[in-house]
Amino acid sequence: MDGKKSKESAVGGRTITRHEVEDFLYREASLLDEWRLDEWFTLFEEGGRMEVATTDWKGWDSSSAGSFMCDDYDLIKARVKRLKSRKAHAENPHSRTHRMISNVLILEQGDKTVWVSANFIIHRYRDGGTYSYVGRYEHVLLIEDEGLRFRFRRSIPTMEAMDAGARLSFIL
Amino acid sequence: MTQLTQGYPISSLVREDGEALSFKVHRSAYRSEEVFQAEISRIWGHTWLYLGHETEIPKPGDFKTRTLGGRPLIFCRDSSGEVQVFLNACTHRGTVLCRHSEGNAKFFQCFYHAWVFSNSGDLSALPGDDAYVDVPEFREAMRLRSVPRIQSHEGFVFIAFDPDVPDLMTHLGEAAHYMSLTAKIGPAGMETVPGVQLYSVKGNWKLAVENAMDGYHFAPTHNTFVGYLRETGFAVTDDDQYAYDLGGGHGLLILTGHNGRIGMVWEPRFGEAEKERTALKRQEMEDRLGPELAGEVADASRILFVFPNLLLFDLEALTIRQLDPVSAGQTNVRAWQFVETDEPAEVRALRIKTMVSFVGPGGLATPDDIEAYEAVQRGIEATANAADPAFDWSDMSRGMANEQKGNQGRSIDEGAMRSFWRHWATVVGQD
Repeated sequence: MDGKKSKESAVGGRTITRHEVEDFLYREASLLDEWRLDEWFTLFEEGGRMEVATTDWKGWDSSSAGSFMCDDYDLIKARVKRLKSRKAHAENPHSRTHRMISNVLILEQGDKTVWVSANFIIHRYRDGGTYSYVGRYEHVLLIEDEGLRFRFRRSIPTMEAMDAGARLSFIL
Repeated sequence: MTQLTQGYPISSLVREDGEALSFKVHRSAYRSEEVFQAEISRIWGHTWLYLGHETEIPKPGDFKTRTLGGRPLIFCRDSSGEVQVFLNACTHRGTVLCRHSEGNAKFFQCFYHAWVFSNSGDLSALPGDDAYVDVPEFREAMRLRSVPRIQSHEGFVFIAFDPDVPDLMTHLGEAAHYMSLTAKIGPAGMETVPGVQLYSVKGNWKLAVENAMDGYHFAPTHNTFVGYLRETGFAVTDDDQYAYDLGGGHGLLILTGHNGRIGMVWEPRFGEAEKERTALKRQEMEDRLGPELAGEVADASRILFVFPNLLLFDLEALTIRQLDPVSAGQTNVRAWQFVETDEPAEVRALRIKTMVSFVGPGGLATPDDIEAYEAVQRGIEATANAADPAFDWSDMSRGMANEQKGNQGRSIDEGAMRSFWRHWATVVGQD
């Protein structure tokens, strides 16, 4: 469905600009870089999901193939709780992360949701190691009056494999 | 040949004293590039290695390329359906022949001089062959090189770079039975699915083996995961769970209290629909396998280590994990979801979600294991001190007294680690 059609729809969905999507993604990035995970979790609608694809990903759904993460809403909540714990050893102390987001595109807009993509580079620093995670986001965002929320958040690494030490103990 | 590692020959890196109930491993075994080179030569060069599963290449022409023990390989199914494993190097000048990670091909063409090999290894095109004498003989001599030995058990394909290793079943010994148990879970068989976790850890490969055979770490290391299970309504216990030495360096933990098993032992996080299906599936397994074997397959979780590089996690769901050492301080890891063929889509989805939430570099548990390997690898630099060498040993004596009384070792002791190291010492530690 193109933007024009959705604008005219009976449901009355509003048109989302790239600027609004960028603001949403930048704000998400800063919440994650600052480890404000409770606030980050509120960016998901109830029932929202999150996936991190493996590096051999060819468009398949995580219900039929392996992935690095395929969290339903309860698992995202459990992940947030875990990462806030001092007993999440892999992230105690927390990694320092620094996210750059660019190439934001609106792929398709519907009445209630907008499908967006963006490129990311996340630098992670811990224990004297430096790691770069390079990839792409492909999200389905719920359009609400007050803003956007994640219905489905997918990260797709571009790397051929996770480099030595480049685990996914944080949110990619 | 005596190789010294900070004053110790490789043959004395494992010190066991039954009277003193002492078992120690010298930390250079994890650090030293000399030890690593000895392992690549004596283990990776002369032992069966797990390469991949037949279901990764289901159709004629399917191929995967991967490196094992530092050697690039082509793992493929030829046009007649036979599994082949080739050294991924053109016989002409050694160029990597296939530079794709996966695909389907009848032929592999070297880009450099356009030699073409069939997927069964024949040299089928030799450009400008008039410059060679006796072309048929030359072509035969220049066939693509297979690895010296290829055998499989229950679809698990193993290779050896030494033509004189004993048969695979001799190598697997008692471990073969436990692979067979896992292979019997699905009425239509078991298969790998795409979505392979490729990652690498800054730790020695033996730390990954130890971690998998070490139930002692579970409660403290995975505190947050245990807490998550508790919130879903499942209480983890380490009681009455045991470790087994399967000989040949292979080890096994049988775990009854760590988790449910999709389709076999229900737990609340699997949901109500799965509860009903579990009862039906148990009946199906009993009808197919008999009650005793069905119970052995279904009732308990198992972590099987097949020396030196296969870990089979048969837990909530199943993961095949392969270790590929890169250097003393780095190990590449590949992990596949292993699923029941033809299972209902909702079960497949539950299985994958459940397993990925636990095992893998993005799970709720494995990152803490990786943290442990990597923290050990960094920490053991502290005690490497030729001027004050006494503290450069890791202790693995837990449970020795109990074992000497003739009791089965507990999963939360270190018996499975000791049996691994004893075998390691016989293979690597010969001066």
